[in-house]
Amino acid sequence: MTGMDAILHGGLQGYLVVALLLFAIGLASVLLRRTLLLQFMGVELMLNAANVALLAFARYRGGDLQGTVFYLFIIAVAACEAAVGLALIIGLYRHRDTTDSDRAASLKQ
Amino acid sequence: MFLVFALITLLGALGMLLQRNIIVAGLCMVAAFFGVAGLFVLLANPVAAALQIIVYTGAILVLVLFVIMMLNSHEEEPAETPHPIQRWLSVALSLALGVGAVKLVLASRGVQQLAVQGAALPRGTTLEGVGAVLFAGHLLGFEVAGLMLLAAMVGAVALTKRNL
Repeated sequence: MTGMDAILHGGLQGYLVVALLLFAIGLASVLLRRTLLLQFMGVELMLNAANVALLAFARYRGGDLQGTVFYLFIIAVAACEAAVGLALIIGLYRHRDTTDSDRAASLKQ
Repeated sequence: MFLVFALITLLGALGMLLQRNIIVAGLCMVAAFFGVAGLFVLLANPVAAALQIIVYTGAILVLVLFVIMMLNSHEEEPAETPHPIQRWLSVALSLALGVGAVKLVLASRGVQQLAVQGAALPRGTTLEGVGAVLFAGHLLGFEVAGLMLLAAMVGAVALTKRNL
């Protein structure tokens, strides 16, 4: 399978293209949106894109189990990031009454 | 089948990017994560698909939606100062990255070779196999991950509680 055929029928290239587009959309939402929660969701999307690429390569190496173990560690880190990141957003909202990243440009009160 | 899940994933992500209402954007993310779980099933990896649904849609996004509803500001605030040049640069950068990387993958001989070789290899990831590899070769990493989750939990409580 080559090129468009692989994308339409789910070859390795198809999964990689989906992962890359997902990463680009996540990057765009981090750069374009101003609400911190949406930027956070963009970061989660980029992490997911990396996971799709990782597991696609693991499958095409003959169901490599190390890939799935690594995926397990990645989602453990993502869960930690979610907990601490959302706590920071709540803390910011209490101090400034906003979740806009442009309005939180300085550390001073 | 691959095309269906790929479209669910990408349309959900695009909806998240373009949606004004933050709650609807969060629900679009749920769709995108379910699409990714479907892709994992197609990759013969049911363990990762189950983990994706349990951890991402079940834990992380519920937490995000909970925080969105707690903050009661459901629309994006109007910009304090508009940055038109930065916005156009971001659009151009994302587009260039996406298109360039896709072209690179489609042109790569190595990826093509791996796709042909890998399609013939045995597939299928089982929970037993993952457990054996995890506890035989990565026991220390597993323990450290548990410690890190505990530290994140303590940190989140310390950050949000008003007076400890």
